[in-house]
Amino acid sequence: MRYIWLVGLREFLENARTKGFWIGIFLFPVIILVSGALPILLAKKGISTRHYVVIDQTGEFAPKVRTELGRQRTTEVEDALHDFARRDPAPRELARFIRASGSNQPLSRLDLDGWKRHAGSNYLTVSGFNPPRAAWLEVPVPKGINPSNDVPSIEAQLRPWLRGEFTLPPSEANPSPKLFAAVIIPRGYGVGTNESASLRYWAENTADTSLRDSIQRQLSDELRRREYRSLGVDPAIIARVEARRAPITDLNPRKAEGEEKVGMADRLRQWAPSFFVYLLWVSIFAVSQMLLNSVIEEKSNRIIEVLLSSVTPGELMLGKLLGVAMTGGIMMTAWFGSIIGMASVQARIFSSAAAAGAVNPAASLPTDVLSLFQSTWLLPGFAAYFILGYIAYATIFLTIGSLCNTLKDAQNFMGPVMLVLMVPLFLMPFIPRDPNGPIATIFSWIPLYTPFVMMNRITGSPPLFDVIGTGIVLVGFDILILWGCGRIFRLAILRTGQPPRIIELFRWLRNR
Amino acid sequence: MSEPALELRNVSKYYGEFCAVNDLSLTVPRGCIYGFLGPNGAGKTTSLRMILDILRPSSGTISVLGAPSALDVRHRIGYLPEEKGLYKKMKAWAVIAYFAGLKGLSSGDARRRAFELLERYGLKDFAQAKTEALSKGMGQKVQVLASIAHDPELVILDEPFSGLDPVNQGVLEEIVTDLRDRGRTVLFSTHVMAHAERLCDRLVIIGGGRRLFDGTMTEARRTLPHRVRLHTDDDPAPLRGVPGVTGLISDGPGAWQVELSEGADPQLVLRACFERAIRLQTFNAAEPSLHDVFMKLVGPSAREASFR
Repeated sequence: MRYIWLVGLREFLENARTKGFWIGIFLFPVIILVSGALPILLAKKGISTRHYVVIDQTGEFAPKVRTELGRQRTTEVEDALHDFARRDPAPRELARFIRASGSNQPLSRLDLDGWKRHAGSNYLTVSGFNPPRAAWLEVPVPKGINPSNDVPSIEAQLRPWLRGEFTLPPSEANPSPKLFAAVIIPRGYGVGTNESASLRYWAENTADTSLRDSIQRQLSDELRRREYRSLGVDPAIIARVEARRAPITDLNPRKAEGEEKVGMADRLRQWAPSFFVYLLWVSIFAVSQMLLNSVIEEKSNRIIEVLLSSVTPGELMLGKLLGVAMTGGIMMTAWFGSIIGMASVQARIFSSAAAAGAVNPAASLPTDVLSLFQSTWLLPGFAAYFILGYIAYATIFLTIGSLCNTLKDAQNFMGPVMLVLMVPLFLMPFIPRDPNGPIATIFSWIPLYTPFVMMNRITGSPPLFDVIGTGIVLVGFDILILWGCGRIFRLAILRTGQPPRIIELFRWLRNR
Repeated sequence: MSEPALELRNVSKYYGEFCAVNDLSLTVPRGCIYGFLGPNGAGKTTSLRMILDILRPSSGTISVLGAPSALDVRHRIGYLPEEKGLYKKMKAWAVIAYFAGLKGLSSGDARRRAFELLERYGLKDFAQAKTEALSKGMGQKVQVLASIAHDPELVILDEPFSGLDPVNQGVLEEIVTDLRDRGRTVLFSTHVMAHAERLCDRLVIIGGGRRLFDGTMTEARRTLPHRVRLHTDDDPAPLRGVPGVTGLISDGPGAWQVELSEGADPQLVLRACFERAIRLQTFNAAEPSLHDVFMKLVGPSAREASFR
């Protein structure tokens, strides 16, 4: 046992001394953090205000568009004001208008109408409040362009502006703003079903279509309203009819009475296993790869002979498995530790906010994540399946390593193993939808897939028979793999030259 | 202590049809330096691996320090394999300590011993260097130290001298004689005769998997007839009639070997040369070297064996 430990410890230290190990440990939480924060950051800071012109030769549509875009902007500012009002302590000017959260209002809210009556919608009176930067800003038509000219000549004059050859008058935020887009509504637009007189949207950047989409939506609404009116239908009735939604409540029979409602935590619980399966897959694969490399190193520089004069092949194999398992285990612990740590820090922030009455304590994602880790079999299940799955795959990789003298040789063997290892990834989306269906059940009983598939099913309350049965099969399979690979390993490890053929491997299994 | 350090009885090893070691028997007494000689492909490494129980013999029995398998007494054996390699990313002292630990030393003792050996054999400054930064010769010395760090009773070195410069070969010879002087048994294989000649108390020569000779250095020399080497521009043919001379062999232009019968006095040849007016440039009556013995025993088969 001592020798298994010594071999394992050396293996672990060797891996722990590599940069890759530490990068792996720290990169993962950073990625999680960044992928959570980046979209918010980008939305706040990343995009600068984009300027556009509207040339409306009909004189009818531009005001509609402007009203609607203005309303959107107002909503944006008011949402920001809501968020601002939730600050602790509440801003002085808004304190009077803040209403506590209620049962169907998860967050405390600002009595906006009351505030508007008081302050006349002038948010500049609220000290410390910076309204979000507008994403879009309409600017006047550049001088020298006559909006009533024919469309081709207007467009010819606009081109250099749109290409950025001319810039708009400088503003406070931007010394040389560029004209991002031009919207031209030609004469005769919207009359009948005249396709030729379509709105012309000019922009160099074709990726950001938010302005274009918004204008199209409003104009479509406007054209529909006109058509309803011409047909003698009241658009208000249509609007009311269209606002109808089929009511749906999600319920789960497994939950206690009164708590049948399916909430965020339940969805999380259903999809979290997929995340775990992915993690399981990545970790088993990464860790097995380490083993492969280390065996090939020992084999190619013949350290193996010295080792084998000191320890038995079995001790060597188990020691290596142990060492790399420690590496993987520490990496996993660090990853989960960072997720749980981050979730609990956020949950504490959240709960202090909830205690202050600012937010509804029932609606916190970090709290849900935490309770997911605490209350279910996810973590213990993950640990068990990680170990059992690791034994099977790592032993196979170790044996492949023992058969080969170079990584290149190993790649020939790796192909089929990788294909086999890919299957659980393909299955991943299907299993949570029907965790106890035939596909899930069949694949659970294939030992190489048991860890992944059962991990995926774990929150779907699989039958106890499946859990225990597949567990026993998996343990049996691990023992078989250890035994068989142990036999191959002890013969292969000293072999030089060409890797053996498959048929030879079977012969090795039968006798020594 | 009367029990031999190592005993092989009728050991054979077959790889399929190919016979790597054929009915090999030998006995290594304790406290001696034992040479294991043979040309390339003679079965030296296979034999050593079987002694260490890394490979199992196809037939025959091996007894190592009284045990049926080297694995039972692995803590009392040190082994340096033919192809040398070290963990590239480990420090020199750590490699030695690791292997010593695998041989049963506690981690503290292993570490102490590593530094002690590195200092004694002139590698103190490299103790903290990663082995990939060491020269080939230094790396090899580290490996030799790793194989003896646990002070084994039996040390098996496979081609320990290859790749070392003359100075370090000297250091290694010192390590080997130190071990013997402290009552340890050293078995080493080589095909450099000079080392074997200087170091070995006993030696075995194998070729084509068979034992060709086993005994002391003196016994080895005795396998060759006494001979006298001489250089002359004259025709040495008249020497054939001299009593005690059994043969005359040309050994290059103007060089000759005169074979003598057992116990014949080389002085007789010298006198016969004067009497027969054969003018000598050199006259060498030294004993046959190990090189001669080796060439005679394995010469014919080695050429073919090394190209198999």
